Amino acid sequence: MKMGVFVSDYKMAGDTLQRLKADGIVLVLNGVYHAFIKEGGKPSPVLDRASNIYALSEDIETRGLSAGSIDSRVKVVNYNGLVDLIFSDYEKLAWL
Amino acid sequence: MADVKLAIVVQKPQYKGETSRLGITHAISYQTVEILLEDGDTVTPKLCFIGEGVLGLEKGQKAMEAYGVTSSETHLKNALLVDLDVFICKDDLDRFGISTDRLPDAEDMGADKKLQFVPYSEIQKIIDEARHVLFF
Repeated sequence: MKMGVFVSDYKMAGDTLQRLKADGIVLVLNGVYHAFIKEGGKPSPVLDRASNIYALSEDIETRGLSAGSIDSRVKVVNYNGLVDLIFSDYEKLAWL
Repeated sequence: MADVKLAIVVQKPQYKGETSRLGITHAISYQTVEILLEDGDTVTPKLCFIGEGVLGLEKGQKAMEAYGVTSSETHLKNALLVDLDVFICKDDLDRFGISTDRLPDAEDMGADKKLQFVPYSEIQKIIDEARHVLFF
């Protein structure tokens, strides 16, 4: 796959993501809120921007979020899984 | 002698930066240490969470395990323990779909104070009445 995008903010990433053709999105730091929060009852539009969405387990646990309430489109990965994604799955990475 | 009201407003989520937790620490400092803006003044801080600031209030945080830092949950509990008035914008909790039972209290630490869930209009009133307003 060509492009993976790291999203590390809850806000501010949406507009830029719309312009990128990302194959995968990795939610890290405050970006993990996209996998949980349903603002106004709606899931984050960030989850529609790529077919593969990942969220970092350590950042989820840090924030007291429960894996039970995660969006079904999101796969949870730990640091080792993240390293595999970086080195094996994507030719290019962007950090937002 | 005057009572100087401070409004400390946390509007960012925690952990990516230090800003939000610094806001809580400031509020606790004003509550626990006699900081006089002018001789004879008393200081009354009120800590408010609005917007994305409410995201960082979930209980069960594991910041120490993952990042090696104390959690904002711990800071929040300490704020209640020192009888600080903590106001959470209920409108923003509703907007993000966060129920109040997902937020902690500090009963296990012996605190009598509870988080106060209020509409934004109440927080606006606190801001209006404060002499100094600090945003974090």
